[in-house]
Amino acid sequence: MNHQKPLIEINNLNVEYWQQGRWVQVIERLSLQVFPAETFGLVGESGCGKSTTANALLGFAPRGARYSSGEVWFEGQDLLRLKPSALQKVRGRKISLVPQNPTTALSPGMKVGNQVVEVLLNHAFSRSKEEARQRTIELFRRVSLKSPEAIFNKYPHQLSGGQQQRVVIAMALACDPQLIVLDEPTTGLDVTTQAQILDLLRDLRSQYGMAMFYITHNLGVVAQICTRIGVMYAGRLVEVAPTRTLFAKPTHPYTQGLIASVPRISAPSRRQSLLLKGILRRPDLPPGCQFAPRCDFAEEQCFSQAQQLIEVGPAHQAACWRWADIPAFKERLALSPIAIEPSLSASKPNDQPIVEVKHLQIGYGANRRERFLKRKPTIIVDDISFEVYPGETLALVGESGSGKTTVARALNGLTPYVRGEAKYAGRHDLTIAVDQRSEEILRSIQLIFQNPDASLNPRQRVSKIISRPLAKFFKVTGEAARERVERLLQDVRLDQSYYNRYPDELSGGERQRIAIARALAAEPDLLLCDEVLSALDVSVQANVLELLVELQSKRGISYLFISHDLAVVRSIAHHVGVLYAGTLCEFGKVEEVFNPPYHPYTDMLLKAAPEPDPDHVMPHTRTDIGLLDQSPNTACPFAPRCPVKVGEICEQITPPWQIASQSHRIRCHLTLDELLPRQNKDYELKIKESIE
Amino acid sequence: MNIVIKTILSRVFLAILTLLAVSMFIFWAAEVLPGDIAARVLGREATEEAKQAFRERLNLDRPVHERYLIWLSGAVRGDFGHALASQRSISEVVGPRLKNTIFLALYAFILYVPITVFLATISALNRERPLDNAISLLTLIGLSLPEFVIGTLLIYIFAVNNPIFPVMANVQRAKSFWDAVRMTTLPAITLTIVMAVYSVRMLRDNLIEVLESDYVRMATLKGLPRWRVVFFHALPNALVPALNTMALNLAYLIGGVVIVEQVFVYPGLGTQLVEAVFLRDAPVIEAIALLVSLIYISANLFTDIFSILSNPRLRTG
Repeated sequence: MNHQKPLIEINNLNVEYWQQGRWVQVIERLSLQVFPAETFGLVGESGCGKSTTANALLGFAPRGARYSSGEVWFEGQDLLRLKPSALQKVRGRKISLVPQNPTTALSPGMKVGNQVVEVLLNHAFSRSKEEARQRTIELFRRVSLKSPEAIFNKYPHQLSGGQQQRVVIAMALACDPQLIVLDEPTTGLDVTTQAQILDLLRDLRSQYGMAMFYITHNLGVVAQICTRIGVMYAGRLVEVAPTRTLFAKPTHPYTQGLIASVPRISAPSRRQSLLLKGILRRPDLPPGCQFAPRCDFAEEQCFSQAQQLIEVGPAHQAACWRWADIPAFKERLALSPIAIEPSLSASKPNDQPIVEVKHLQIGYGANRRERFLKRKPTIIVDDISFEVYPGETLALVGESGSGKTTVARALNGLTPYVRGEAKYAGRHDLTIAVDQRSEEILRSIQLIFQNPDASLNPRQRVSKIISRPLAKFFKVTGEAARERVERLLQDVRLDQSYYNRYPDELSGGERQRIAIARALAAEPDLLLCDEVLSALDVSVQANVLELLVELQSKRGISYLFISHDLAVVRSIAHHVGVLYAGTLCEFGKVEEVFNPPYHPYTDMLLKAAPEPDPDHVMPHTRTDIGLLDQSPNTACPFAPRCPVKVGEICEQITPPWQIASQSHRIRCHLTLDELLPRQNKDYELKIKESIE
Repeated sequence: MNIVIKTILSRVFLAILTLLAVSMFIFWAAEVLPGDIAARVLGREATEEAKQAFRERLNLDRPVHERYLIWLSGAVRGDFGHALASQRSISEVVGPRLKNTIFLALYAFILYVPITVFLATISALNRERPLDNAISLLTLIGLSLPEFVIGTLLIYIFAVNNPIFPVMANVQRAKSFWDAVRMTTLPAITLTIVMAVYSVRMLRDNLIEVLESDYVRMATLKGLPRWRVVFFHALPNALVPALNTMALNLAYLIGGVVIVEQVFVYPGLGTQLVEAVFLRDAPVIEAIALLVSLIYISANLFTDIFSILSNPRLRTG
């Protein structure tokens, strides 16, 4: 397809890291080309060597890394063998970087404008300070930052995550580079912000025609933005193909599994046999194909014979010598049984809800001193009502800062200020603090945290971690406890060899299983799951999700599932509540919330979620749909961002609940008919207007 | 800017409160020194009338809290009364010593800050290479040597073996400013070593952390030259936490250098405080203790204010 000369070419690259007293190979025989004006996506799970590749493209060897062989050719020079002074002329000038986390990548003590000016002056791209200042403001305008002059004089901490990322993108664009390396540029951002940044990148690309090297673990994002994709596994490239080909005909078994593992909003059920098995264990990799231990089609030869990328179609290469024998992706998909299917409501109509919340208000800051000073608490969540039924999952979704986690903390009695009504099993008051709760309530409500690295005590063995609730709630110790712990380990599908391990000997997914086992040890009736999947890789995520569904059907536990990932929610929840700035704006059964009529905010979230399907066209979002303001002073908190705002009524009068069905309600001034997108010409028009 | 002014005002207010509390403690501590001051000053043979007159003159017959207030109101105006031993006014007695101490302190501080920053920076930039290891070893040796050993060693090398500097640093006899500088050099170097060994290690660790940070990596990958990365992105962020130690060191220089002063026979505040304690000269003790705590507290106050001003996060709220 591409007969032009590559812009940059990685040739047979080997990278090693110094780990525990020896050099460990992290990238092996990597060769790839990026052509002018194309967007090359590099996907893979954490630890596969994506960021190391990004460093190589900039000729950068971080501490403890070395390029043992290979070259990176750019403009006739090998970047890996360039002198520092020559490299400085390339970096930021011809090849620039947009790093993963803009919050930590901006210098905290320097105004953001000056950080861009610095690049321009350093590369003598602008001749004077004033010229550089003008260009910086112009760049800020190009990346759609509102009031660029004001932004120029801000410090990084004064900007939101989205604004920071725009500043970093402006910095990358500063000297009109030929290649921009983007290392997970939207990973820490909310879906809506992510959609805006993706939009911006597409616009910039069509205007300036620079090449992009886009690194991400998110298949949805690559599908939406890249023209060609490389899939990486354990430091090797296993498949390269144009985007459409890759998603239509993934050839390598790893790519197939990866694509099948991604939850989709449009197709919530998932096929079991395609999900990736096991995890990547770096130390036990075979000399041959590194994916062989996890592969369904591996033969003896796979373990010993190293794989090369071979042509499997036009512009399509895969590193699997058995590729022709592996059934096509679509066939495998059709044949395999369904692993996770969003079940319809498990509860019977006359079931009593396990948690019933009415007009709950949650806030912080009202401690004794402040009550004495008659200070009012800061209200985070206001007037929310919902029920959780036995054996069901209620998901709360929303952007960061919407108050999801606060709700979970309040139900656990961890927030200082709770007003309104919250009942557990119809009898127990949940508005009281954790230290005043009965043993029974403490036991039956358990919490699993987002980050298992931080929630497991690193100095305790797995056995100690899991047996602690047993001793506390059931007075089970000694041999009996050991048995119970082993059974719990089995329940989360870990074998007994984990019994004596420490958390840092485990992978992220294994740790999250331990956290789940610890919660299960208390035999809870309600599990509060706070973003439990967000720190995990897709394939691990799929497995943990499957585990949660299985445990629910076996034990009849209820979940309050907090997530920002709509696709995950779609595949696990029975009921969904959409939170915005601490208030509920839509509540209903999962199939009701994911189908029209939508609350305008739900609509926005759904449109912003990138689907792993290049044919699924993401609507062009407004370049600035604003940011979540945590305490908007409008009656409808969403009014300032709403594309279909009725008028002043939205700012002054609290919107009523529009009742769509017995279980489905939407809080909006628009009627249900008006909220149905297809039947409302006006709505579509307004959406269009807001785009232009 | 409002927040900054508010924060600074509250810090100043707290500092004044602290100083008051300290002054009470100092006064009380000097009071509990054993023995009748009148008897001590006038001698055992003094008549009861003479003692009584003495007590009245010094307000010793009044209740403690009244005496405290009288003392405090004097101290605020800079009048600490008279030394018991010499009967001269305190400002006359303490003044020249304070000047000497401040001279030595500034000298040492001017040496200390750049040396610390320089050594820490080259150490961090050459992390785990021979240069870093050498500096690390040297600072470790410095840390484990008591200051009088360092002082004595310096005297041995630079005053006895190679008589470049005088053995004794009697600055009061200095003929000119530069003569005073020459006399003070060895004690200043001793103090610099004492302070720098710890600070270099701390600043090196801070710098290493900052050099590993995302924003330093970003600055490098923007194509900035190494010196610019270090001076504009790494150092400013690594220095702020080190400021506190530096401020404490400044305070140490004023109040706690008794041993070094003794080694070099330097006429400073520390030596004077020790002398006053031997003589049970309460007014002198009180005056010096109050001065030293004033300097201690202000040094801390200034670093606080400086770190507020240098941190955009605190500055802009």
